[in-house]
Amino acid sequence: MPHQCTNCGHVFADGSKEMLSGCPDCGGNKFQYHPGDVAESEPADPPADADADSPELPEREGGSVAGAVGRAANKVRDAVTSDPDPAARTTGDDADTTDTASTAGAADTSAADSPSATDTSGTADASSSPDVEADPSAPETEASEAVDESDPSSPDAPETGGAPSGDEPAEGIDASTETGDEDAAQADARSSVVDKDSLPDAPSDGRVVKEPDDPEDRPDLDDLRQELNDQFESIRIVAPGQYELNLMELYDRQEYIIALQEDGQYVIEVPDAWETDDE
Amino acid sequence: MGLFAELRDSISRVSASLFADDSEPKRIGIYGPPNAGKTTLANRIARDWTGDAVGPESHIPHETRRARRKENVEIKRDGKTVNIDIVDTPGVTTKVDYSEFLEHDMEKDEAVRRSREATEGVAEAMHWLREDVDGVIYVLDSTEDPFTQVNTMLIGIIESRDLPVLILANKTDLEGSNIQRVSNAFPQHETIPLSALEGENMDEVYEKIAEYFG
Repeated sequence: MPHQCTNCGHVFADGSKEMLSGCPDCGGNKFQYHPGDVAESEPADPPADADADSPELPEREGGSVAGAVGRAANKVRDAVTSDPDPAARTTGDDADTTDTASTAGAADTSAADSPSATDTSGTADASSSPDVEADPSAPETEASEAVDESDPSSPDAPETGGAPSGDEPAEGIDASTETGDEDAAQADARSSVVDKDSLPDAPSDGRVVKEPDDPEDRPDLDDLRQELNDQFESIRIVAPGQYELNLMELYDRQEYIIALQEDGQYVIEVPDAWETDDE
Repeated sequence: MGLFAELRDSISRVSASLFADDSEPKRIGIYGPPNAGKTTLANRIARDWTGDAVGPESHIPHETRRARRKENVEIKRDGKTVNIDIVDTPGVTTKVDYSEFLEHDMEKDEAVRRSREATEGVAEAMHWLREDVDGVIYVLDSTEDPFTQVNTMLIGIIESRDLPVLILANKTDLEGSNIQRVSNAFPQHETIPLSALEGENMDEVYEKIAEYFG
């Protein structure tokens, strides 16, 4: 459910704070809310996840790196007791890989790669460690691309977020519980909405669709709207020409939101527009 | 020292620096519910000290739908000169309904548009209160009940920001004006009665403006 710049059409991910500082493409300050465009919102989600991740980075970094280093050290100690040098090396590499992987918000890559790293280090091949380094660097660039372009592979992030907790409980908890929950919730919300769209298409052309669709969609929209009202609404449009204003919200918020009753669309005005207009 | 230099820079950027005194004019917001006489007061102050008006006055609520500013209003009191920018703001309310404009011989389309503009005006007024105001003149219609959600909330916000505030009980020329009720509603602030329309008691208003915002 993205916001869209009314000026140039730039689409923002749901929950993205990017637009609070204006549209990065055209500098526009007015944004439209599109409750319907679920399909478009999917690719736009990962950057929001990545954004949400970055502030939490220090915590998770410390936990995951410490955990990875500790585990790697143990495994290496078990496997290669004779050669101390590669052990030190690989643990250092592990720390790097988990570090970069967790920065990219792909917790799984760190979880999946670090054991493989320790395994390869178990063979005590000097040449294997560069490979280990290369592997996680690939997902990292992928993820960072996702942040930049806000396009590709959204299913990867939620999947990887969920997977490691099963495989590596200790590291899963350290690295990705918080973001994992968010991802799972968002993935659920997304998949459930998508299901409704895909269900009618799958069984038949249009027969079964319409009857269940309306009653099912209505409460969702209403719920959504209610939630939006509770969270954000500073100006409520009761009917055309009739408004209710939440003065504290208007005062507290830098931006203000005008919500429409019918289809859930609203317009956000970022206050910079006033200042440039007025001055 | 850095702060001081910054302050000096920002002052020199403003045109007010042309004046002899070295202080930036304080920006005084005229706030209050719709139809309290904010624009009438702003116009009176502006006419008395600069000769120009600020904006059109009307009996119809929400005549002022954009904040209007009158800059560098110099008010002289007791040999002291106070330099202020007056911001006349749209009346603040929690509900805007176009149907109330229909009573004033307005077409529905125009009433709906006025209603939308008034709503945007309230948002703007609240924005100004947050960002751009150094002091507040709060205007109340003394014939109306001052115990309203809007008044309580706005005064609360103003107090929470530690802004100097003058409460004016306007429309003393009207029957049913009750100044005591206003001063009872906000005993923590000084209430000054006036009729902006008739110009009654404006001397005291200017005196208090000089005292509060000088």
